[in-house]
Amino acid sequence: MSVIDYFYSLDPAKLLKNLPGGVAQGILWGLMALGVYITFRLLNVSDLTVEGSFATGGAVTVVLITGGGPAWLRAVFGASAGQFPTWAALLMAFFVGVLCGLVTGMLHSYLGIPAILAGILTQLALFSVNLHIMDMSSNIPVSVDKYPLYVSGRYVLRSIPVAAVITAAIIGILYWYFGTEQGSAIRSTGNNPVMSSAQGIDIEKMKMIGFALSNGIVALAGGLVAQYQGFADVNMGRGASVIGLAAVIIGDVASRAIFKGHINFAVKMAFVILGGIVYYAVVILVLWLKLDTNDLKLFTALIVALFLGIPYLQSKKRESFASAAKGGSGNAET
Amino acid sequence: MKKKLTALLMIAVLMFALASCGQQKEEENNSNEPVEEPKVFHVGVVQLVQHPALDAATEGFQDALKEKLGDRVVFDVKNGSGEPANCTTIVNGFISDEVDLIMANATPAVAAAATATSVIPILGTSVTEYGAALDIDNFNGTSGFNVSGTSDLAPLDQQAQMVKDLFPDAKVVGILFCSSEANSKYQVKVVSECLTKLGMEPREFSFTDTNDIAAVAQQACDESDVIYIPTDNKAADCAETINNVASVANVPIIAGEEGICKACGVATLTIDYYDLGHETGLMAFEILENGADISKMEIRYAPEFTKKFNPALAEKFGLTFGSDYVAIED
Repeated sequence: MSVIDYFYSLDPAKLLKNLPGGVAQGILWGLMALGVYITFRLLNVSDLTVEGSFATGGAVTVVLITGGGPAWLRAVFGASAGQFPTWAALLMAFFVGVLCGLVTGMLHSYLGIPAILAGILTQLALFSVNLHIMDMSSNIPVSVDKYPLYVSGRYVLRSIPVAAVITAAIIGILYWYFGTEQGSAIRSTGNNPVMSSAQGIDIEKMKMIGFALSNGIVALAGGLVAQYQGFADVNMGRGASVIGLAAVIIGDVASRAIFKGHINFAVKMAFVILGGIVYYAVVILVLWLKLDTNDLKLFTALIVALFLGIPYLQSKKRESFASAAKGGSGNAET
Repeated sequence: MKKKLTALLMIAVLMFALASCGQQKEEENNSNEPVEEPKVFHVGVVQLVQHPALDAATEGFQDALKEKLGDRVVFDVKNGSGEPANCTTIVNGFISDEVDLIMANATPAVAAAATATSVIPILGTSVTEYGAALDIDNFNGTSGFNVSGTSDLAPLDQQAQMVKDLFPDAKVVGILFCSSEANSKYQVKVVSECLTKLGMEPREFSFTDTNDIAAVAQQACDESDVIYIPTDNKAADCAETINNVASVANVPIIAGEEGICKACGVATLTIDYYDLGHETGLMAFEILENGADISKMEIRYAPEFTKKFNPALAEKFGLTFGSDYVAIED
């Protein structure tokens, strides 16, 4: 196939038709990235628990929706025999995710294990935990024909607004929470732990809450992604930390390119979701260009490296004497 | 700020212009083409991960369709590289491409495809139990909707019998498998029942990863007289590691498939994934060319089973095989 034939074989209409699916996946993974944002940007630590807690969220949601789970829990939601409500399954996913985050937080705070290692340990343990949740099967399907799912790859155009509303609600709650005294304390812990400690903030407790909240959101996103793709899989968290990081960074770069100066916190969070959408749009572009999918991970890594590099190069550009005289811009998030 | 917005707008306009170009071209093509020209079928193949058995199934599938349709079939082969989420993205692309048929290789790929479309026919392969993979209670061989395919279920009862025939004195049979494999759990359950019926005691040893396989295999060797390994992709990947442990411990292994047997087993009753893919290709031909109704197509199994043995390891354990066994060549 010649180069010209190759370009003729690419149909832009197909790319456009492909985009809604990417947007839906992007919003859901963007929600996951919002969890990553809390630890990576606000607490200023890298938490790798997400690769485990994401699958945990999917497992909990699917097991409950398909009629599994402990009897007492089903009784609490009045679903002893009938259908477990989808919202309650997602709520449970959130709570279990919070527990996962607490484990990482405790390993970090009480045993003094570095955050990145504590996350890896929890992630490792969660693999077995997830298998137990899924009753030792590695893959449980959940069919949109049989269960009342909120989002599904079958109905992309209906899933997008649903995902957007859920995400917007969570951004709203987070915006309110991080404005409260406790939320501000979490942010200040990430900004300057020594100063925060001197101000009487229990920084270990704040980190713990941050890990818990982050993984709760990640697990909730896992529950939604499992519904969207139609199954929970013990490996579904693979690549979650990279995708989350990519979405956070892409959102960051995009928001700085569009807005100058102070950016509202809610807008920043919205841009994380946008980052997720851009990430999936790029994946779809790569697939549309008919590049060999065996190289997919290579391209993914290149894209993430590119976006990770942009802020650094931008800051280098800014680091002239002129901008230094103006007071420069701080690195820390506020 | 204004400049950037203008640039964004221009890009958007350009995209739409390009898109409409594409559409126009298609329409022109349609009007110019003679009506009689035979239809070229567009088949999307989504494979979960790079793996010898799955690769062989994809190859067999493509070969079967090429034999039947020649140039009248175009393949779009995409690999999820081990991330289930990628399968969803890939299938999403196939649906916007309006492919005529999707071939989904491995359980998460089939689940992703079945979620994404209820219209385009989906043929699965390398799936052991369709009832479990599609969440159908009392599965009777046909799904009743747009999914069918081939199962890589090996004849588990006959494999259990093989253990009994070759090692009549064995009491404890260790079953070594990976806990993250969707297909293994079912096989382990069935083969355990068969072994118990034959008067042997099955004992399960599951590993999670390539990293703990050696330790788990060691424990299995310590506690068992014979080890059985089902058709398990992870075990196939680590077969050499298992061999390093088992051959030192002097415990023979009966394997569920040839790839594992070649590296660490003495004998197997095997299916060939190329043949399985080929069979799937024949099903695809019936759907595409003859308009067969996929919702009524029964799940098919491997066309033939072959008893095979590993000459080097057979010699080590002093086993001799009859003429019904075929030696595995290097």
